[in-house]
This record gives sequence, structure tokens and C-alpha cells, in this order.
Amino acid sequence: MSNIPEITLAPSIIGQIGPITVTNAMLSYFAVCLLLIIVGLIVRAKLSVKPGRFQMFFELLFSMILDKMVVVFGDEKRARQSFPIVFTIFILLIFGNYFTLLPLVESFILDDGTKILTTPTAHYSLTIALAFLMIGTSHVLAIAISPIRHIGNFIKIGPVFKAIKNLSPKDFAMSMIDVFLGLLDIIGEIAKLISISTRLFGNMFAGGVIIAIVSGLSVYTQFVVPLPFAVLGLLTGFVQAFVFAMLGMLYISSLVGGVTPAKQQTETN
Amino acid sequence: MDAEAVKYLSAALVMGIGAIGSAFGEGFIGGKAMEAMGRNPKYMDKIFTNMIVAQAIDESTAIYSLVVALIILFV
Repeated sequence: MSNIPEITLAPSIIGQIGPITVTNAMLSYFAVCLLLIIVGLIVRAKLSVKPGRFQMFFELLFSMILDKMVVVFGDEKRARQSFPIVFTIFILLIFGNYFTLLPLVESFILDDGTKILTTPTAHYSLTIALAFLMIGTSHVLAIAISPIRHIGNFIKIGPVFKAIKNLSPKDFAMSMIDVFLGLLDIIGEIAKLISISTRLFGNMFAGGVIIAIVSGLSVYTQFVVPLPFAVLGLLTGFVQAFVFAMLGMLYISSLVGGVTPAKQQTETN
Repeated sequence: MDAEAVKYLSAALVMGIGAIGSAFGEGFIGGKAMEAMGRNPKYMDKIFTNMIVAQAIDESTAIYSLVVALIILFV
């Protein structure tokens, strides 16, 4: 007989603290953040020039992200300015995607069977919040450098006035097309938001659902059969964390690069 | 055709049709990566890493159709 567990998209509600509804996604996310802080403090307390294995693991992740950032940003100083948020999101997602691999994490259940701790990134609320964070950071960084130029990248009315002043119809047509494309870029920002959040959510949620269905098919498929699907889930967890961090970094670099004057950009290349 | 039947049918169609394009794209990326690796065996690791990342991004549209199918089924 097959008993496939009930699958819901929304996280299960655990309690209420004042006006805030506490769900199991929120609790798991706080647990992941706490774990990150503890691991960070442990690694920092034992830093040495000859790294031990634990420190070497984090140095591996560190160099993986920093090398790519230096290639995209151009020089190391500007890469290091945006490095903290990209690396924090990367490690947060790695720990978050692998959270339910820790033993006994999924065994805390309430009276009616709802789990207290689950994979936090398998809920849409977290991924949309992280996507807002990354894209909001890129916009805020660009506005902090020069707000007028940043808005001018989206609503390109500067060339229109120049074309009217020069009285050339070809330039006017090209600039009208540019205005339209600039307005489409605004919709592109919303598309970026939905795309990176949905990609992460879809991968993580589907991984969990596949294992739940395969284990629920019959009693004989509970032991060795979910293994390939679990390994696939491991692989996609790491790759999706990397892709999320890299895309966030690319958005930051493209928006900030569109605002810095061209002279500064060429002299760093 | 009652609502339940149409729900199941549409969820299956959404996922099935959405996976076709992604499969083509990922195979194309993999093929080009194999070509590049054969031509330049020294850079095999870099090409492989970038191929994995490109395939993960390419899978996005299939994931969108998966999410739509899940929303149809469970919400």
C-alpha cells in the first residue's frame, strides 16, 4: 500500500507571538542563522596561518567566490566592497539547503505530526525575501552613487531631448525605441526577482517532494531506492546556492557599473 | 469534464510541455561544452564548472512550469 504524505506549499503554522505568525520555515531559518553564527565564531577563534581542515573548507568557498568576483568587477578593491553580502548569501544558502541532513533535525514534531524544523529554502517566503534583499541591495548601491544617472538608465529621456534639439528624425526614432526598451527594463527587474526566487524554491521543494513520494510508494522503496534522488538533491542544493550568489553578484555589478562614469571603468581594466 | 479531472490533466500537461525546451537547451550546452573540452583538455575543470552553472540557469524555465503545476495541484 502506498501512503504518500500530504504535501502543502505553505509552511505549517506553529504559533503566534503577538501579531506575528510563527511558521516552521521561520524557525528553521533562525536555527540556520544561529548555526552560521556559531560556526563563524568557531572558525574565527582558531584562525592560523597554517589552516586546519575546517578553516581550509571555508577558504575554499571564499576563493571560489572571490576569484569570480574579481573577474567580473575588474579589480579586487571593488570586488571586496560587495563581497560580504554575496558570500553571506552563499554560505547561508549552503547551510540552509543542507539543513535537514543533520541528524535528528526532522524528528521534532508537534502533537498532530507537523514538523518544527524543515528545509527553510523550500518555502517561497524565504526565497522571495532573499531575492528582494539581493535586488534591493543592487538598486540601493546604484542609487547611493548617483540617483539621477540610475533612473536615467531606465527612463532614457536624455537622448530624446538631444534628438529634438538636433532636429534629426532618425535619431528621434532611435531614442523613442530606447525609451521603450528602458521601460521594458523595469519589467525586467520584476522578472529577475521572480526568476531567482522561483528557481531556488522550485529546486529545493521538488527535491523534497521526490524523496517523499519515492519513500511513500511502498514499504520496499524506503531503504535504498531514495538514495539516487537524495544525492541529486545534494548536488542541486550546492549548485543552486552558487547560482543564486553569482546572479546576485552579477546584478550588483551591472547596476553599479551602469552608474559609475566610463572613465573610472576603463582605468581599472 | 469536472474540475478535479481538468486540474490533474492541466498539471501534467504544464510540467510535460515545460520540460521539453529545457531538455533541448541543456543538451545543447552539454554538447558544446564537450566540444570545447575535447579541443582544449587543459581547461577541462573550468569548462565543466561553467557548464554546470549554465545548465542550472537553463533549468529555470522547467522549474517555473514545475511551480505552476504544483500551484495547480496543491493550492
